[in-house]
Amino acid sequence: MTIFPDSALTRRRLLGQAGLGLGAIALHGLMGCSSRQTVVDPLAPKAPMIPARAKSVIYLHMAGSPSHLDLFDYKPELAKLTGKPCPDELLKGKRFAFIKGVPKMLGSPFTFSQHGQSGQWLSELLPNFAKIIDDVAVIRSVNTDQFNHAPAQLLMHTGQPRFGNPSLGAWATYGLGSVNRDLPGFVVLSSGGKTPDAGKSVWGSGFLPSVYQGVQCRTVGDPVLYLGDPPGMSRELRRGMLDQVQALNGIQHANVGDPETLTRSAQYELAYRMQTSVPAVMDISKEPKHILDLYGAKPGHVAPTDAMGDPRAHYKGDDPTFANNCLLARRLVESGVRFVQLYDWGWDHHGAAPGESIDETLPIKCQQIDRAIAGLVTDLKQRGLLDSTLIVWGGEFGRTPMMQNDVRDTLVKGFIGRDHHPYANTMWMAGGGIKRGVAYGATDEIGYYITENAVSIRDLQATILHQLGLDPFRFSYRYQGLDQRLIGPTDEGKVIAALLA
Amino acid sequence: MRLLFKVQAGRCKTTGRVIGIPWPHMRAVFPFLALTVVLVVGALDAAEKPVSFSLQIRPLLSEKCFSCHGPDAAHREAKLRLDEEASAKAERKDGAAIVPGKPEQSQVWMRLLTSDVDDVMPPPKTHRTLDAAQKALIRRWIQEGASWGQHWAFEPLAPVDPSLPAGSAGLDSLVASAQSAHGLGFASAAEPRILARRLSLDLTGLPPTPERADAFAAVAAVDVNAATAAYVDELLALPTYGEHWARMWLDLARYADTKGYEKDLGREMWLYREWVINALNADMPYDRFTIEQLAGDLLPDASTAQVTATAFHRNTMTNDEGGTDDEEFRIAAVKDRVDTTGQVWLGLSIGCAKCHSHKYDPISQEDYYRLFAVFNQTADADHSDDAPSLTLPTPEQAQVTKDMEAAVTVAKAALDELRKADPHAVRRDGPAPEDSPIIAEAKKTRQAAIDRLNAHRAGIPSVLVMRELAADKHRTTNIHQRGNFLTKGAEVQAAVLPLPGLPVNESGKLVDRLALARWLVDAGNPLTPRVMANRVWARLFGIGLVETEEDFGALGSLPSHPELLDRLSRSFRDDGGWSLKRLLRTIVLSRTYQQAAVFDAQRLEHDPANRWLSRGGRLRLTAEQIRDQALAVSGLLSAKMGGRSMMPPQPDGLWRSTYNATNWVTSPGEDRYRRGLYTYWKRTTPYPSMTTFDAGSREVCQIRRIHTNTPLQALVTLNDPVYLEAAAALAMRMLAIAGDEARAERGLRLTLIRTVRPAEIAAVIAAYRQAAALYQSKPDDAAALLKAANAAPAQGASLGERAAWMLAASVILNLDEAVTRN
Repeated sequence: MTIFPDSALTRRRLLGQAGLGLGAIALHGLMGCSSRQTVVDPLAPKAPMIPARAKSVIYLHMAGSPSHLDLFDYKPELAKLTGKPCPDELLKGKRFAFIKGVPKMLGSPFTFSQHGQSGQWLSELLPNFAKIIDDVAVIRSVNTDQFNHAPAQLLMHTGQPRFGNPSLGAWATYGLGSVNRDLPGFVVLSSGGKTPDAGKSVWGSGFLPSVYQGVQCRTVGDPVLYLGDPPGMSRELRRGMLDQVQALNGIQHANVGDPETLTRSAQYELAYRMQTSVPAVMDISKEPKHILDLYGAKPGHVAPTDAMGDPRAHYKGDDPTFANNCLLARRLVESGVRFVQLYDWGWDHHGAAPGESIDETLPIKCQQIDRAIAGLVTDLKQRGLLDSTLIVWGGEFGRTPMMQNDVRDTLVKGFIGRDHHPYANTMWMAGGGIKRGVAYGATDEIGYYITENAVSIRDLQATILHQLGLDPFRFSYRYQGLDQRLIGPTDEGKVIAALLA
Repeated sequence: MRLLFKVQAGRCKTTGRVIGIPWPHMRAVFPFLALTVVLVVGALDAAEKPVSFSLQIRPLLSEKCFSCHGPDAAHREAKLRLDEEASAKAERKDGAAIVPGKPEQSQVWMRLLTSDVDDVMPPPKTHRTLDAAQKALIRRWIQEGASWGQHWAFEPLAPVDPSLPAGSAGLDSLVASAQSAHGLGFASAAEPRILARRLSLDLTGLPPTPERADAFAAVAAVDVNAATAAYVDELLALPTYGEHWARMWLDLARYADTKGYEKDLGREMWLYREWVINALNADMPYDRFTIEQLAGDLLPDASTAQVTATAFHRNTMTNDEGGTDDEEFRIAAVKDRVDTTGQVWLGLSIGCAKCHSHKYDPISQEDYYRLFAVFNQTADADHSDDAPSLTLPTPEQAQVTKDMEAAVTVAKAALDELRKADPHAVRRDGPAPEDSPIIAEAKKTRQAAIDRLNAHRAGIPSVLVMRELAADKHRTTNIHQRGNFLTKGAEVQAAVLPLPGLPVNESGKLVDRLALARWLVDAGNPLTPRVMANRVWARLFGIGLVETEEDFGALGSLPSHPELLDRLSRSFRDDGGWSLKRLLRTIVLSRTYQQAAVFDAQRLEHDPANRWLSRGGRLRLTAEQIRDQALAVSGLLSAKMGGRSMMPPQPDGLWRSTYNATNWVTSPGEDRYRRGLYTYWKRTTPYPSMTTFDAGSREVCQIRRIHTNTPLQALVTLNDPVYLEAAAALAMRMLAIAGDEARAERGLRLTLIRTVRPAEIAAVIAAYRQAAALYQSKPDDAAALLKAANAAPAQGASLGERAAWMLAASVILNLDEAVTRN
């Protein structure tokens, strides 16, 4: 059927549906076209503003924030200081979430060694990741100004530590649309048993039209809410019922003429296609064994986290939920999804309560992700997708070189922890036009402050947009009278040129 | 590199005129001097009326120039302000920026035209270059004498034109003149049954019954105006009116049932929702509505209702995340109050000024923190108990509380007596001795009494409220440099915003929340009535007269009908005594509102977005309306009003907040069929169908919901259990009468209200017959479908018939027309 006749009606719908003026929807292809243009879909693919290096993004967010000091940032000097009181100058004027008084320094209990041709230092907790280290760019100098989870996650994903702003994925789909129209353009997958601390706002559309919000795909129940038809309803029957909906909408349109009616009919058709396309892409059971093994994925796994107050106490290293999600991310990107956002909860290792320690929980969490992240990079690479897919990995802040001391201030097995640390953190990127096998930035000898090439959250965001072909300084949306940008109103953010291949 | 002045040569599309601008003297040598510079004048009527400073020039200067030559002193260049007449026209070293009547002597004009990269304005790197028509406008304005004024929204409300008729007719005549200026006219009047549905949905959020619409159509056939007026009065008097318009207000108030942030624990705020519903149903004047919500606690002899109203600003979030600095999030809440007040009443995005002086509107950072100081004196402090709150026991509950408190006192006293008498109870060094059996028993009794009292207290309704700190506990307020509360700047005193033309503080008088609220509704404040009248208009037409409802500032959109906006504002405030019902009545009784929604080629070409109101608005229903309508037309809707929030069915496993083990517990009985307004609102995980149909999370104030049209919406109305249940119940109503045709017509009319066409009836029957044919051989499938839809047993009909009618009903509920109000 013809959903979008070539007529002036359709353009009006585009402008009318958001209740906004022409400038409000950045359909670059549409600007300046005649009124007989046929583009009507706010998610239709749009040309990038500048040459794009990445078509898609897979963002792996480790909610809670893994310790840079125990994974990436090798600090032998800090190890020598373990147990010594923290010097005053590191505490004066500082605010911590939980640390009280004078805490003790805490070196990493894990062994570090150098890997790959690039010779990067990595801890023993990421043995598989170590094998692909020459494919990634490790950024050891990320810093933020938020030290509580929810605001820090909001800053990372929406550009502001407050609620009400669009997330990265929403910006990307708003700016570029999505190639596969039988799937959502911005998909969210979560693991670890909990949603991120800042809730659904980290994949929200903020002030952008809600069509750009992330769609959470679930591995239990309907993969997308209400996707499944009720029991007793066949595909044939669904088609038959839709045909009558369309027939009746056709009568309405013939009598009233509102282009919005045609759009709704088109959306019903898309919903119908999604009923098969989403379960198909979400079904990893037909992946060959060597691919499942590459990630450590296990089809059909149901994470036993329901009704658990705090799933961390039950974490198992072989839980494949995150691995399954990584494999799904590849399948989604392969199918043309623009932005895939993974959240893995359970990286908040304070050591204050059971199941949240550096010494016992961090190794379990690393076991859950190590094979999967290495597998994801490897798999994308062997399929020729790594060049066009930008992978970003990280938490919302770093962790203190001091031991958290609000509950106990001695080293007790299973209760060794670190507090939130905004001043230094490590993240990594791979693919999507990012240099391979480099380490960027550095911290001081205890990993407290950045000593070279500081990278702000805005720099990261600017770089991600830039790789997608969206000029971070000009890419904006008019709201409250201002051209709102992901990178905020000031021009402090910069594209990290040294990381670009 | 030398940037060239980009020129467009060509003919004006509408007039065909080509206008040449004399080439000015240039300090720089321009390599293409020989090129003829031709500027295009875009608007045909531009030559006829004098240029309006407020509506044409100031917006342009604001967009292009104010970021460097505007209110923000920190970023001001060359000490030049183009937002102030004195500065703009002052003599300067290289000549005044603007010399009235003399564009060629005005630096503004010269700098617009030059090709010198160092001189040209705006600097090319700002991407703010004016187009040819804009430049020509500036030139003409200077030529005409460069008249000055305020930003339009700060100008006083224009006086009512006495030559126009009163009420709705006056409104229509202003719309008509704008229409004719664009070659348009009114569409025909909407068909009465369609109008009946439109009015009912717009005023009460619910559809009428087909019978009520028929009755309306019958009297409208005699005297349409009288019939409509009577029907509107009937609707405005229904309690469902208050529920519907409360929904709109609750978006502004960011009403929710949880605290937000990481843990997002529950809190009790529903009494505030009740207050809003009651206030709207009582048609509380908007000035009082304003004052009570912002400062009800400060009114002399404040009633509990007035204190309850202050929950408006207690809807800010509370951060229970471990390791947070309470002061940081107390301040975040206060800032949210400042920002929300600015947006809801003034239509200004004053939040920008928390980090730096506003670049476009005259709000300095100091102004922001002076307003912040007004809100900085309440007792709430981001503590996990969310204090202060107001408990509102019924008289019976109060009596039970007293009795239970007395029981606790008695039990405590009994225990104390026993301890005095019991030598074992006297502690010395070492571990405490074990309780004697009699003391253990008394302890148990005391604990049981305390537990009973606590359980009882938990059931007593309460609501978070504002409470002013005692004068000796007042906080000092400093500017937060770059918005950081730890970097304190100068100390400031509380004040209202010093907006041009608006009343200012009486010097030496304390500005508290009450004074601020009174300033908002002061006769000298044109923003409050404009913003509210525009908001009401936007809810009825889908688009405001000022499209950017959230921004009446310099960068917001200009009013499409400035005179109409002011007329409505005046009639709302001055003639209507701030009555929302009267404002609604005036608008919906207009010819403008009652037009049919026709999308003919001419209207789509010349009025695509209906800015000139040449047809009735055709709007998608809100999330709540779609739900409520499905329940209403199927007969499931519960008429219960008020009370705590409800939990209708929701898929398992959605609530997974960190450090929060609370669960969604589906409400029993008719409570699962309450209006959407009463659905439990969890901020980090809102009820899915709400956000799918464009509701926000209620974490912050949402001025308008931007309606989208997505496949996920289709999935909700096709498969969400609420809609399955509604379809099954609607099918029961259809089955209650005999004959396929009659049944199909019944279903269509219950939902669409209007009379239906044979082809439409045929389509519904076709749906039924296809399903019936398939289910005939598969009764188990039919049974499974009906079970999933919680279908009630029906007499006489087979499983297959019932399931097939259910699917036919689902087709009806999924029509574009069903989720739209025509």
